[in-house]
Amino acid sequence: MNVQLIRQSFFLFIISASLGFIYTSFTKKGFFLENKSSAIVATDNFELIPLAKAKELLDSDSVIFLDTRHYSDYKNGHIKYAFNIPINELDNYTPVINSLPKEKFIIAYCDGADCNSSILMAKKLTELGFKNVKVFFGGWQEWKNAGYHIEK
Amino acid sequence: MAAGRNGKTPVTILKNKMFEKQKIIQLLENKILTLIARIILGGLFIIASLDKIIDPNAFAISILNYRVIGESLSMLVATILPWLELICGLGLVFGFYARANAGIITTLLICFIILIVSALARGLDISCGCFSQDPNMSKIGYQKILENIGLTILSIYLFYTSNKQINFISLFKKQSTN
Repeated sequence: MNVQLIRQSFFLFIISASLGFIYTSFTKKGFFLENKSSAIVATDNFELIPLAKAKELLDSDSVIFLDTRHYSDYKNGHIKYAFNIPINELDNYTPVINSLPKEKFIIAYCDGADCNSSILMAKKLTELGFKNVKVFFGGWQEWKNAGYHIEK
Repeated sequence: MAAGRNGKTPVTILKNKMFEKQKIIQLLENKILTLIARIILGGLFIIASLDKIIDPNAFAISILNYRVIGESLSMLVATILPWLELICGLGLVFGFYARANAGIITTLLICFIILIVSALARGLDISCGCFSQDPNMSKIGYQKILENIGLTILSIYLFYTSNKQINFISLFKKQSTN
């Protein structure tokens, strides 16, 4: 193997890494994000989406938002057009869930980074055969703080 | 020497074959052709890097969705990889360290293919995260594998023809010395 080639490749990698670290340290994104766990979390069978994508999907009008919090929380405010299916009352909502088309994009959310009911809901829906389930991990708190459309 | 079926001797046939082979090599080493290939591959990598550089958090989520590495490592990859794609893309287009850039891009593309194949084998229905971080765009599938195989062939071709390429940097240097 050509030594010069390895040296050049290493140089390119160092330059890229340096630029990446400098950029993210200034923008407080990526590796320098203060609360990493609020941005990402490990999942099993479904996809996590960030705030910007959740907003895009709501605007595209092709998805169903599922609010998995308690009804009282939902009543106090929720993402526009979102349905409420509290995770602890899932059995009562079986007819509603069964009426949803299996191919439809469904985005589950709960309060935010500290709750896991959206992930539990996504797992349940995936088990029930829904193919396009996603989790908006930032949830209600992130949505509200961003000042996007809400309903009460 | 005995003549062939068309009146050609075996030596003539061999010479013709060698001539054809030389013509193909000459065509593949054509500077304009390699320049076009470099602009296509480099341009694609530059475009692919932009969305990831703007939103590394979303890219980290895309990486995490493949379920191969953990949170911290995906954040680290999301911090470095887009810049590596950008630098290699620019390197290919402008012709600096062309061979090294083509080598890195080939390695990256092979890794992407392995990742997509493994995700498909595990039955994951996720977005590629290749160009756009929109989860509804470009789902992983056989089409993505074919796309990446095509790009890998292009980058291997550039890796082996890098000595015969037009180098913009040396062109600028020549102009400034004149």
